[in-house]
Amino acid sequence: MDRGVSEVEPRRFRGLSARGAFIAVVAPAAAGVASIPLARNGPAAAIALFLLAIVIAAVAGGLWAGLLAAVLSSIALPFLYGAPRFRLRFDGTEEILTGLVFLTVALVVGILVGGAAEERARAGRREREARLLGHLSSRFVSGDVPDRVLDDFVRVLLEPFGLVSAEVLVEVDGTQMNARAEQPGLTPGGPDTVVPLVVGPVSFGTLRVERPAGRRPLGPHEQLLLEAASKQAAAALDRARLDARARLAQLDAETNQLRAAMFSSVTHDFRTPLASIKAGVTSLLDRSVEHEPDQERELLTTILEETDRLNRLVGNILDLARIRAGALIPTRHEAGLDEIAEVVVARLAPRLDDVAVVLDIDEIVPSVAVDEMQLDQVMTNLLENAARHSPVGGEVHLSIAAAKDRVEVRVCDSGPGVPDEERERIFEAFYRGESIPDSPGTGLGLAIANAIVTAHGGRIWVEETPGGGATFAFEIPVHVLQPPEREASA
Amino acid sequence: MTRVLVVDDEPQIRRALRTSLEAHGYEVATVGTGEEGVVGAAEQAPDLVLLDLGLPDIDGTEVIRRVRAFSEVPVIVLSVREAQSDKVAALDAGADDYVTKPFGMEELLARARAAMRRKQPDASTEPLLRFDGLEVDLPKRLVTLDGDQVKLTPTEYGLLEALVTNPGKLLTHQWLLRKVWGQGYGTETTYLRTYVRTLRKKLGDDAQAPALIVTEPGVGYRWVAETTA
Repeated sequence: MDRGVSEVEPRRFRGLSARGAFIAVVAPAAAGVASIPLARNGPAAAIALFLLAIVIAAVAGGLWAGLLAAVLSSIALPFLYGAPRFRLRFDGTEEILTGLVFLTVALVVGILVGGAAEERARAGRREREARLLGHLSSRFVSGDVPDRVLDDFVRVLLEPFGLVSAEVLVEVDGTQMNARAEQPGLTPGGPDTVVPLVVGPVSFGTLRVERPAGRRPLGPHEQLLLEAASKQAAAALDRARLDARARLAQLDAETNQLRAAMFSSVTHDFRTPLASIKAGVTSLLDRSVEHEPDQERELLTTILEETDRLNRLVGNILDLARIRAGALIPTRHEAGLDEIAEVVVARLAPRLDDVAVVLDIDEIVPSVAVDEMQLDQVMTNLLENAARHSPVGGEVHLSIAAAKDRVEVRVCDSGPGVPDEERERIFEAFYRGESIPDSPGTGLGLAIANAIVTAHGGRIWVEETPGGGATFAFEIPVHVLQPPEREASA
Repeated sequence: MTRVLVVDDEPQIRRALRTSLEAHGYEVATVGTGEEGVVGAAEQAPDLVLLDLGLPDIDGTEVIRRVRAFSEVPVIVLSVREAQSDKVAALDAGADDYVTKPFGMEELLARARAAMRRKQPDASTEPLLRFDGLEVDLPKRLVTLDGDQVKLTPTEYGLLEALVTNPGKLLTHQWLLRKVWGQGYGTETTYLRTYVRTLRKKLGDDAQAPALIVTEPGVGYRWVAETTA
C-alpha cells in the first residue's frame, strides 16, 4: 500500500480507470433497462434516466467515464426509442442534439468533479503536512535530549513519505549521533534522497530516506516538505545544544558558589572545636597552674564534646562529598527505623540538655531495606536541627508510624517554624534560614538528610507543627530485599 | 595479668591504646599488620585481641578467620563508621563485638570486660543467672523479676536464653533467628524486633537507656547486664 503525501498529488483529471469504465458501461445500461417499463409514454423518462446515469458516471468515475457514458447513452437512446426501434441510426438532428447535450453534461459534471477532487486532495495534503510539521515542532520544544529527538524524527517520517527506511547521521558539539527507523514489510532498494540538516549557517549532518524497491522517487513537493521537516529537526538539535551549554555554565557557577560557601563554612566549623580542644589541652598540660578537680573535669568535658562535634562534622562533610561525587550509595540491610530512632535518641538525649525528646513508636514497624548508618545520620541531623530551633525547656517529638507500603518518621519541634518560601530551599547545602541569620548549624544536616532519603527512594519535606513550630518528616518505602544481602555475604 | 594484643596500623592509636590499657592494669602488646596479628595471637596466647579492620596487608576479616582456626580468644573489631558491611562480615567470621572509631576508652573497656567474661569457665553453664532483680533459672526455664515470675512465651524465653548465655557478644539478627526460630529463618527481622520489644517491656528494660539488651540497628543485639552474686 502506498498512500500518503506522495499519492495525494493527482493530475487534474485521472485517466479512465477500470472502475470508471465499468461504471460508464453499467450506469447507461441500467438506465436503459429501467426505462423499458416507461417506454410507451415516449422517450422523456428514458432521457432523464440516461442523464442521471451520465452524471453518476462522471461523479464516480471522473471526466472520461462521464464522456464514455454520454457516448454510450447517445447510441443507446435512439436504438431503444427511435423508429424503427432496436436499430442503430444517426441521421436525425434530434439524435445529434441529444448526443451533444449528453456530452456537454458529462463534460461539465466531469470538470466540476475533477476540480473538487483536486481541491480535496490539496486540502488533505496540506492537513497532513501541517500535522507532520506540527508533530515535529511539538516534539522538539519539549526539551528532549538530542538522541530522543532524532529517534522520533526518523520514525515520524516513515509513513507520510512511504519510506522503507530513514536514517540521520549528525554531529553535535563533537558528539556523533545517529538514528534509524525502518518500516517493516517493505522491500528496500528503491530510490533514495539525501537532505541536509541545517539551521542558519550550521550544518549538523544529513538525513537519508529510501523508498521501497520499484517505487518512483520523491517528487519536488515532497522533497521540499522533507527539507522543512529536517530544518525543524536541526533547529531542535541547536536548541538542545544551547540548553546543554547553559546548564553546564549554570552547574559550574553553582559548583563554584558551593565550593566558596563550603570553604568558609568548613574553615569556620573545623577551627572552632579545634580551638576549644587545643585551649583545653594546653591548659591541662600547663604545669605552672594547679587546676581544681572541678575545673579539670570541666576542661576535659569540653574537649570530649568538641571532639564529638568534629567527628560529626567530618561525617557530614564526607557524606556531602559522596553526594557531590554521586557516590552516596546505600548499603542496604533489613532494619527497623524504630530501633535506629531509639539508638539515636539514647545517644543524643544526654547532649540535648535544653530540650526533652519524646518518642512515639507504632506497636509494629515493618522492616525496611536501608543503610542503617545513613538513616541514623538522617535522624540525628533532624533531631539536632529540631533541638537547635527549640525554646529552652521545649519538647521535640519523634514519631514513627507504619503505613501500608511505607514507614513515616516525623520530628516535630515547637520553635519558630519554617516560612513557606524557605521550605524548598531549606534542603539545599549550606542554606541557612534567612529568618534565622545566626543559626548555629553547619547548613549541611538537612541537605544530607535530603540526599540520603532520596537515595533510599523516599521523600522528605517540612510542614508546620500544629500549634506552631516545624515538623520535618520523611518516608521510606517498604520492600523486602530478595535475596537478603547478608545471606549472600555469609 | 590480662594480656591484650592490639593490631592496628596507626601508631597514634597503638600508643593511645597502650597507655590507656596499661593504666587500667592490662599487659599490652601492639603490632601493625594482619600477619603479625595472626602470629601474635598464636605465640602470645592473649586474653583479648583488639583488631583494626583496615590493615595494610591482609583484610581484618581474614585475620579473624585465621585466628579462629586455632583460638577462641575474644576479638573486638575497631572500625570506622562507614564500614558497616565489614563489621557484619567480621561478626560472621567470628568476631565478638565491634566499636566504632572514634571511640571512648570507657566504652572500649566495657566491651572488653564483657567479651572476656564470656570466656571465663562456667560463665554460661551456671544454672542460675542473676542480674540485680532479674533471675534466669536455665534448667527450670524460669524467669523472675524482683521475685515475681515473668510469664514468657517459649519464643521469648528462647530469645532471652540465647542472649544471657552469650553475654557481651554482639549477636547478629541472622544468628538469633536461626538459633531461636530455627534454620530457614534468617531474614524475618520484623519478628525479631517485635519480640525484642515485648521482651524488653516484660523485663522492664528501656530501649533509650538500656541496662539489659543493647540494640545495634541493622546488625543485632548485645546482652550487657553483668551477673550479680
